[in-house]
Amino acid sequence: MLDPYELTVHTLTLRQLGSAEDLRSINGLPVDDVEAALEKAVVEGTVMAARGNHMITPAGREFLDGVYPRTFAALRADAAVTAAMDAFETGVNKQILALTTDWQTIEIDGDRVPNDHGDPEYDSKIITKLARVHEKTYKVLRPLADADPLVDRFLDRIGDALVRAEGGETDYVSGVRVDSMHTVWFQMHEHILRLTGRERPE
Amino acid sequence: MSTTTSLQWLVVPEEIAAEPSRDLVGGKAWSLWRMRSLGLRVPPAFVVTTEACKAYFADGHMPDGLDEELVAGIRFLEQKLGRTFGGSERPLLVSVRSGAAVSMPGMMDTILDLGCNDTVEAALAAESSDPEFAAEVHRRFTGFYGRLVLGCTEELDELPDTAAVRAAIAEDVDATVPADPWEQLRAAVAAVFESSRSRRALAYRKHYGIPDDLGTAVTIQAMVFGNLDDDSGTGVLFTRNPVDGTREPYGEYLAGGQGEDVVSGRITPEPLSYLAARWPSVHAELLEAAECLDREGRDAQDIEFTVQSGELFLLQSRPAKRTARAAVRIAVALVDEGVLEPEEALSRVTADQIRTLLRPEIAAGAADDAEVLASGVPASPGVATGPVVDTPEAAQATPGSILVRKSTSPDDVHGMIAAAAVITEQGGSTSHAAVVSRALDTPCVVGCGVGTVAALVGRTVTVDATTGRVYAGELPTSAADESEDDDLRRLTEWAERAAPLTVSTTAVLEPVFDADAAVDEVGGKLPDIPAGTRSVRGGIFCTLDGVRAAMDAGVEEIVTARRLPVLLAAVAHHRRIS
Repeated sequence: MLDPYELTVHTLTLRQLGSAEDLRSINGLPVDDVEAALEKAVVEGTVMAARGNHMITPAGREFLDGVYPRTFAALRADAAVTAAMDAFETGVNKQILALTTDWQTIEIDGDRVPNDHGDPEYDSKIITKLARVHEKTYKVLRPLADADPLVDRFLDRIGDALVRAEGGETDYVSGVRVDSMHTVWFQMHEHILRLTGRERPE
Repeated sequence: MSTTTSLQWLVVPEEIAAEPSRDLVGGKAWSLWRMRSLGLRVPPAFVVTTEACKAYFADGHMPDGLDEELVAGIRFLEQKLGRTFGGSERPLLVSVRSGAAVSMPGMMDTILDLGCNDTVEAALAAESSDPEFAAEVHRRFTGFYGRLVLGCTEELDELPDTAAVRAAIAEDVDATVPADPWEQLRAAVAAVFESSRSRRALAYRKHYGIPDDLGTAVTIQAMVFGNLDDDSGTGVLFTRNPVDGTREPYGEYLAGGQGEDVVSGRITPEPLSYLAARWPSVHAELLEAAECLDREGRDAQDIEFTVQSGELFLLQSRPAKRTARAAVRIAVALVDEGVLEPEEALSRVTADQIRTLLRPEIAAGAADDAEVLASGVPASPGVATGPVVDTPEAAQATPGSILVRKSTSPDDVHGMIAAAAVITEQGGSTSHAAVVSRALDTPCVVGCGVGTVAALVGRTVTVDATTGRVYAGELPTSAADESEDDDLRRLTEWAERAAPLTVSTTAVLEPVFDADAAVDEVGGKLPDIPAGTRSVRGGIFCTLDGVRAAMDAGVEEIVTARRLPVLLAAVAHHRRIS
């Protein structure tokens, strides 16, 4: 497990720029702990602060590169975790990305054009499929989630985004300015890649 | 069915003259009733009411008498079509779908082809002379049932045959699909009831404050087949052209085709003129129905139909998907036809669609002699010219720059927001760069190959993300102008009247807040609008979020070069909050 200081610096690799409150909503720490960690990080030069926002420094990235192998040695040696990551990359992750593309574009007379969300039935079918993959991801990532409580937190936040999308808040599937399904999915992906020391396959 | 009146839990839409209550029968059955009342032929159906659903939860089991009524309902369908549920000759298959009065996400999808088993598959194979089709029906039904009734979460659609689907279900949930069609039907009805209290359905209702006791109805409808004989087929018809919006029917017909064949490409479709030549009476009936549904729906319709042994059945009619160009043409045409008021027509066209139409393109011929520096997969359309940078920080520091990366991750998002276009070396149309660029409506070309970053950085390039090419230098572009197009000009006039604020190309009111000058758009957040601001400008105020934020802050004027998208966004937000 990462301690609150390490976790706070780590969170700035999942969200490039953020306030203590932004980081808290991702890592689930009490906001006081996040603020204390950020103060310490600025002193140690792992994080830069400007106008209430924070950003990780190259020194901060180096610091984390030292922390991960030590903290996650057991996790990285666990065959069930490796199998879960393989299944994640080749299965649900590909499905989520393909469905996100289906959400953003529709086919009209053989051409793919931007989805104007004028067809609630089409949107609802995609969300239903996303929800199914989301549900399945709880199962797929179980070995990781057992070792790291943040995984379930990410999945719950993805579920919250899907609920809002179902209510017609279409930004909550792939919008960039809100905690959309895709935004949180990518945070989670980056998080588990760092835990397991793997490269993003692409 | 003379016993209709004595039924406690069922309604048969075509047997009743008076409009049924949506609360009782759900939206799906209501629209079946509506189509019947317009004189259109739909496959026969009956509906288990929301009262039965309530009783199911109150009693903790299927309400007394429902089993018998399900038999009566199926007998009615059998008699209508001359087929037998579970029969070894001319078998009857049904679809089972949920339907509440208001849309309720999280409830069960449709189960198709219920009533199938080994005997029925053999009977279908004999009747259609197409064993492959019969096997496919059985395979698909097994998948639907496994997933929706038995709760299997494995992907079943890709499995080759019924045996493989059965094995996957057994492996995942240790259960089997019953062979008895009646058992299938009862379990499916119960599964629809249960789905109204699924985790997703409950989460949705909790978030939006919808009462939890709102149950669902269950619509059970006979399946019809377009591949039974030479006089059968299936097709789709658009009442207006989905590409340019012209008011003429447009569609495809697959002689001897069934359902999924339209999508799968198993059979090559013919234009509707084929149907007109082969079956003039069916074609005429179809066009008459299309006209009726277009008028009744007050919008362009996408109609699915099946011809079974020479008899036309309408399966579904819903507002048609359309291009941005078609959306504009159809909205204006509906006003001219007296169907819509101008204000309502504005709700049929979105700001994004207009932005698509006004998107600049490389001027005709300008790219012919230009040097192509890189090419890849077009991931988000548009054209942009600018200096190339290779870090998100540089993109933020250089307004109008083109960001090129090996690939992108959440680390790059603030740079992508600032960039005029995004190019990557790796990744396809579902990559992070592609998805985020589409969400931002930023032109994006992905998968340009190794070495692209090094080849481009520091140069000035023109990105054509519609074709996926990157050209050296600055190429001339041409942009459509909303005042040069009749339809767009009229929409603009209507939107000016309906919008609660002014949208201008140059600021009239003071003080003006300029978001681009404030450069506070960090991490994708909206800037704070200073109190007392009457006029705003800047890229962020051309987005939906920006328009909403400006209106909520009491701003009276938005300044932008492209007025119509902002006007439409303002009208839409005004409609939503008032």
